[in-house]
Amino acid sequence: MSSSPPPSSAAASPSCPKKMIALRSSDGETFEIEEAAALQSKTLENMIDEDCAGTPIPLPNVTGKILAKVVEFCSKHAEPGVDDESLRAWDAEFVNVEQATVFDYILAANFLEIPTLLNLTCNVVADMIRGKTPDEIRKFFNIKSIFSPEEEEEVRRENHWAFE
Amino acid sequence: MEPDFVPTTSFVDFPEDVQLCILSFLTPPEIANFSCTSKRFVALCRSDAKLWHALCDRRWGSKTQIRKWGDGKICYRLLYKTLSEWESLIGFWRRSGQRSTSAAAAASAAPPPPPLVVFDWGPSFVAGSRVSPSQDGTYGVVKSPFLWMSLSPGGEPVNFVDPDGKGGEFGANYSVDSIGKTDLIPVDVNFMGCTHLVVEENMGLGGNSHRNGFRRSSSSANLCSDEEEASGGENGTFGSLPDRYMSEMYQHFANRTSPGGSSASRRQKKREKERQGKRRWEPEHFVKIVDCSPTPSRPLQGLWKGIGDCTKLEFYLVTYDEIGGIACRRVGEPADRFSGCAPVFWTSKATFIEPPFSQEEMIMYDSRMLLHPIDEENSMFGELPMENEPVTRILYINSSYDLLIPDLAGTTATDRRNEGRIWQYRDGTFGFGFLRDNFIIDLKHIAPNGCLLH
Repeated sequence: MSSSPPPSSAAASPSCPKKMIALRSSDGETFEIEEAAALQSKTLENMIDEDCAGTPIPLPNVTGKILAKVVEFCSKHAEPGVDDESLRAWDAEFVNVEQATVFDYILAANFLEIPTLLNLTCNVVADMIRGKTPDEIRKFFNIKSIFSPEEEEEVRRENHWAFE
Repeated sequence: MEPDFVPTTSFVDFPEDVQLCILSFLTPPEIANFSCTSKRFVALCRSDAKLWHALCDRRWGSKTQIRKWGDGKICYRLLYKTLSEWESLIGFWRRSGQRSTSAAAAASAAPPPPPLVVFDWGPSFVAGSRVSPSQDGTYGVVKSPFLWMSLSPGGEPVNFVDPDGKGGEFGANYSVDSIGKTDLIPVDVNFMGCTHLVVEENMGLGGNSHRNGFRRSSSSANLCSDEEEASGGENGTFGSLPDRYMSEMYQHFANRTSPGGSSASRRQKKREKERQGKRRWEPEHFVKIVDCSPTPSRPLQGLWKGIGDCTKLEFYLVTYDEIGGIACRRVGEPADRFSGCAPVFWTSKATFIEPPFSQEEMIMYDSRMLLHPIDEENSMFGELPMENEPVTRILYINSSYDLLIPDLAGTTATDRRNEGRIWQYRDGTFGFGFLRDNFIIDLKHIAPNGCLLH
């Protein structure tokens, strides 16, 4: 399964018209992404500089399912003439997915060094933390705690000084 | 999502910088909460260089250089606390209150400083600048930095005023160490609520100059001798009251006979005067201009610039009240309705008249002459008269608060004098004028999109 062709962009790169970069996911799927969209990833930017031959760049840390969405995200953010409000709405829809998928996006964004996607997804996780008690946070994120109740109380007291 | 669902990846599996990225979106109380979840996260959340830096960077990294504050040595937790307070400074303020009539102020005989002030982020400080209309016939404004607020490596505020406005470039090379060598005046900046600010000279008594993180270069112990600037002298304690008067009298007579030509001795006298409790700078009060820009429901709101009475550029502030009225004043004039200062214009009901406009209104508008400074972008020669722009909406205004008493004989000539119109243009700017003359005063935003145009 390959991704649908990315939307046409107005500006062509100077070297060749709308240069496409090929990416290969960990499970062997190949995706094409416009150079302008790929440059949103610092990792890809470094790799593109080195190799212009067009062999697919292997991304062993990203599955096909996630890579398809990352390509979609980068392409959207490389589109010219999108106003801030509609882009924000698009982003909100983009992360309106299962928690596990959001976590996968985070890992992909971190590996590929895509600041916009990383910030967007990390903010979503921050929303998950907001408003929960420590106990609820532990359950939600499966955090193993070896605090005794007294230790936890002491931490709470010290935090009051540091954070309030 | 099922409540018992455990994702294959979890927060604990993320690399640390991802965890910090997530935490950077939270407020300190939320982080305090999170840190209670495990020992590992207690340590992470207490780390100044990691977590508190991430918090500062998230909130202000795009506006200022976090790593440069406090000479790069400041504890980020303190920086976060201070910047959270100082953040409310950013924006426009206006000077309020009368200039105090002290001897110093009267002697200086300088015109009062411009009423409009703007606070901006600098790389490692917050800068206050006076904003005044340029006198060159354009819409340009002049921005003169006069106040610098920064932090010592220990997290203490270090604030200075440049009274003569000569230190414009100084701000760029600003560092706590270099302060003592100039004529900058240390000040305290005190918040009174969120919208009132007092900036007053820090007289440097006792430990205060230590708090500012620099040393005065002459010592009060040497009041009796006429000496060169002493470098490296610690600021000792000031004498008790009678001593001060004694030394002041001594200085008065001693200095009369000394040749007072050199700048070094002038500087030294200045410092001695200051040590003896004479202010070099009068306190200034500022009130925040809360609504600086138009909104969809308040399209005329905010700070504007346009020609004033004397064909010079002036600044105007349009405010809306709670009952749907608007009033416009020159910035710096008291806002009080009963202050005796007439508004530039006002109306009790800001309801626009939509097109199609009556013939009478069209004639009234078309017959007028636009008054505006040279608009350098749009005119090649600088003097071409501009065509009146197409009007999207009209508003009835008045220029006087005097009661309009319905007259049996109809409206009097005086009433009509004060009646006027606002003509709003497609781009949101507007012009206004009155029936007593045939001008249109065109106004532009002072800071469209939040940037002061020069």
